[in-house]
Amino acid sequence: MQEGRVLSTREINRDLLRSILDTPRWFWPVVTVLGLILLVAAIAIGIMVNRGLGVTGLNRPVAWGFFITNFVFWIGISHAGVMLSAILRLAKAEWRRPATRAAEVLTLFSLMTAMIMPIVHTGRPWRILYWVFPYDFARGIWPNIRTPLVWDPSAILTYLTSSTLFVIIALVPDFAVLRDHTTGIAHRVYSVLAMGWEGNARQWKLQIVAGVLLSALILPVFVSVHSIVSWDFGMAAAVKSWHSTVFAPYFVVGAVHSGVSAVAFALILLRWCYGWQDYIRHEHIDALGRLLIVVATGWFYFLVMEILFGMYGREADELMVRQTQFTYWPYNFWFILFVITTYFIPVALWLSRAWRRNLWIMSIACISVNIGMWLERFLIIVPGLINKQLFTFVWADYRPSIFEYIIIGSTFALVTLLMLLFSRVFPLVPLYDVKEGDVLRTQVQIGRRTVPATFRED
Amino acid sequence: MARRPILGVFDSANSAADAGDGLRRAGIPETDVDFLTDTPYPEGAFGEREEPHRLYIFPFIGALLGLTSGILLTSMTQVAYPMVTGGKPILSIPPMAVVCYEGTMLGAILFTVLGIIFESRLPKLKAGLYDTRITEGYIGVLVNTEETQHGEVETAFGQAGAVDIKRE
Amino acid sequence: MASSAEQHHGGGHGHGQHAGMWVFPVREEITRDVAGKTFAMPSPYKLALGIAAILTILGVVGFFIRASSDGFGSPGPWGYYAGIFSFVFMVTGAAPLVAAAFRFTKSHWRRPLSRVAELFAMVGIVNIVLFIPLLLAMPPIKNPDVQGSDLEIRRTLWFEVPIGAPYTWDILCFVGLAFCSVMILWLSATPDMAQARATATGFRRSLYGALAGWWFGTKRQWNHQKAGLALLGAFYFMLLIFVQFIFITEFAMSMVPFWKDSVLPPMYTVMSFQTGLSLILIVMFIMRRWGGYENYIGKAPFWSASKILLGLTLLWTYHLFAFFITYWYGRLEVEQNILKYLFTQPYLVVFLGNMLFSFFIPFALLIWNPLRRSDWGPPLAGLVALVGSLLFNLRTFAAAFNTGNHFEFALSHVPAAVWPDIWDICIILGGLGIVALVYLLSAKLFPPMSIWEVKEGTLYQKMDTLMKGEYLVLAKPE
Repeated sequence: MQEGRVLSTREINRDLLRSILDTPRWFWPVVTVLGLILLVAAIAIGIMVNRGLGVTGLNRPVAWGFFITNFVFWIGISHAGVMLSAILRLAKAEWRRPATRAAEVLTLFSLMTAMIMPIVHTGRPWRILYWVFPYDFARGIWPNIRTPLVWDPSAILTYLTSSTLFVIIALVPDFAVLRDHTTGIAHRVYSVLAMGWEGNARQWKLQIVAGVLLSALILPVFVSVHSIVSWDFGMAAAVKSWHSTVFAPYFVVGAVHSGVSAVAFALILLRWCYGWQDYIRHEHIDALGRLLIVVATGWFYFLVMEILFGMYGREADELMVRQTQFTYWPYNFWFILFVITTYFIPVALWLSRAWRRNLWIMSIACISVNIGMWLERFLIIVPGLINKQLFTFVWADYRPSIFEYIIIGSTFALVTLLMLLFSRVFPLVPLYDVKEGDVLRTQVQIGRRTVPATFRED
Repeated sequence: MARRPILGVFDSANSAADAGDGLRRAGIPETDVDFLTDTPYPEGAFGEREEPHRLYIFPFIGALLGLTSGILLTSMTQVAYPMVTGGKPILSIPPMAVVCYEGTMLGAILFTVLGIIFESRLPKLKAGLYDTRITEGYIGVLVNTEETQHGEVETAFGQAGAVDIKRE
Repeated sequence: MASSAEQHHGGGHGHGQHAGMWVFPVREEITRDVAGKTFAMPSPYKLALGIAAILTILGVVGFFIRASSDGFGSPGPWGYYAGIFSFVFMVTGAAPLVAAAFRFTKSHWRRPLSRVAELFAMVGIVNIVLFIPLLLAMPPIKNPDVQGSDLEIRRTLWFEVPIGAPYTWDILCFVGLAFCSVMILWLSATPDMAQARATATGFRRSLYGALAGWWFGTKRQWNHQKAGLALLGAFYFMLLIFVQFIFITEFAMSMVPFWKDSVLPPMYTVMSFQTGLSLILIVMFIMRRWGGYENYIGKAPFWSASKILLGLTLLWTYHLFAFFITYWYGRLEVEQNILKYLFTQPYLVVFLGNMLFSFFIPFALLIWNPLRRSDWGPPLAGLVALVGSLLFNLRTFAAAFNTGNHFEFALSHVPAAVWPDIWDICIILGGLGIVALVYLLSAKLFPPMSIWEVKEGTLYQKMDTLMKGEYLVLAKPE
């Protein structure tokens, strides 16, 4: 599957370094707009910190609302990086080459954004310190160090550290290219970052082995992260519909579903912004579309398991939560919208080869998935909480306030801004990976047909 | 006589590989020759030597250290705050398993990254003989050998069609 | 049979690890050679057939004695029968899917693996017969002693007990699955049977004529065959997951009061992929070492499958942990009792064996690169995983069938373990024997090497030179 033409090294350098060596005209205006959105969000957070969480729609018993939904959502998006980069690298899928870096970087920024959400959610962020360093314990207030909530920071920090290192290691050869193409301060900075890389056989061999080894090591971390996020809910027997054994794989597959869709959309945007038609080609988006059919169907299976076994127990309080999800306004509307946008619309679009190769349709499908996946997290968290539980004697509905909408909206601006700034200083498509693809590219003649082929070392 | 580097710059990978053959014929040991490229080529494409490495040991050491840290952290905090919640016994394994697992993986990954840098012999503080055209797709053949052999090296480079020959 | 390119297997300079990784059979000789091997009856084959037949007879004897002494009135005595049935169904049901899955991903290394996997479709037919006693032994959904309360209906998949549930639907599931897999085998083997017909004699000649007489190999037929295989593969995938879900829920989960475990069906499915692939690797190893197929089966299928096997091994453990940690943290009394019953108390030894063989040993073996690159390493890990899976199934079903009162709302105590008696052991051996017997017979009926796929592979795989090295070239036509 190789549709593009073979490009010279000079062309590849010129095209892929364009975002760094030249500044497009739209760049600073877009950055300014995104910055303004973040400023508004910062003011909203400031007011919220000053006046307390009462300005949000959170209440008793709905202590977890939009912020935690958004936290789970961004953790989900972060699963695309490793999914694409590591699994496809291990599977030696040739079409992965232009997509890996953007996916990995999206992982980093969405993880960072996700980490902000629980901090904002505390309302008094500095109080996290009391939890981390329990100064109060002389008064008998002890932290519950065995709560599943402790697992989150350990998993997310591990994932963030690993993904950052993964990106940096793969960037070293590209730093060398930038070192050789810049002057002045930029040259000095890139020289330090390139660590004296010269591209000898030993360095390349280790780069390749490192890619495979780190992929294999990060994969189990990637699976653990969203599992652990799911266990924030799953370990609690009190909130009905949360205590389901399938939550871990269900969340992981869902995260891959939303993450890969987000990467596909990001690639389409990058292609459009930087004119990378020769690199991010229709065949790549097509391949992502086919992969997504499988992922989406796997996700749907887990969804069915989750719902079916929720009702299998025939416990009245669990059935009540399901009834809320399926029949009570507005949750019934959100539920139908969620299932349609997450599965039926995108998969119907992906089934056609022509539509998979139409970037507009692919964009719609990928955005649709992410609308649905956001709703999924909301529908897991809120209906479970608004129903009366065994030991609660107050219960209420949840209506998010304008503060929550602003803060949630700004996280999308934050990730976009960080991606743009990254693309301004580092290449978002790995140069050496694309060049390697061209080196290994060959053809096999069968009768009158020329079939594209690849050299393989094993 | 001192060993000094000499760099041949080639505009195609095939001529660089031919230069490698020429160097072998001239009796230059394989260990003195390095091929500098802007992208990985399949191992052996230049007829170069195999590069043994010990990278696989690093993750095991890291994992062991990470696991030990994880066990110490989780067990010591449980002992330090012996609060029984939900009837879960103190020092029970399931709540420790996740943090220990993350510790193991973090250790393994950190050590792998250290291993990659160490085994790649990076960072290289003193810049060696290099040509910036290498990241433009040219191939550099770097020979680090006795100065007396530089004549033979240059001949081999010339015969293979070097576009430039650089010395320190 | 020569393998012209075997001399230059592997890569460029001194890449000893690649030796024998890929093999390149001579296109013109494949049909005659495979047909010859299919029709031959060497003495090791006859010996294996004899052993399989003896084991099967033992199983039949065990079954009849069990039926005559205990009847089908209560499920308890049939726990081990259910365990071995589940094992056979789990492993052999997933095998044809392995062929379909790698055909879907267009992996070239799958070519010698396809038919080895598809032949397990024949065991699917036997599974239908073996399933019937389980239906007889299953307790009814409605409690005959209680009316008009929550306890009237046992917790099952059939919330409102539709007509025919569960017996009709369950048996339909198995029939549908077997039919689909046999169709895959037939469609896949048609071109091979049409080609092998030239050298076949007697019964096989008539059979191949009847099954593949319509095949002439026109472009249109090839297109239809490939599309048909893709569609049937997709159907089989969906059917298999569905049937596994029904089976494990109906015959394990709903037999244990309040065992509400949404991750059990996916866990069962993942284990079936792990063990299905394991069994295929073992069969391929035997065929490569002693069956004369060394020119068709290189090390590449083992090397490629080993990574997937490692992934599946980790995935199974992950699913098990997801269940365990949720129940452990839930700390409801009933959850504690289920954990104690299935894992930590009466069946602790079996559970530890299950973990050792399903996870620790295969994991420790498969993380070693040199072992994964060998032809014996992955099958060895597979063999160990099969033992683990056998223990998993025996433990799960022996426990589920012996919980006592299946109509209880929750498991209020931890029942004692029930260990197999001599007839259970006969039944277990018989279950293993019948799989071997049916497979061995099928491998003489249909060519166990997918001739057309191997031939097709010769077009797309070759060794070629890149600068100073020689490497494998893989072409992908679409």
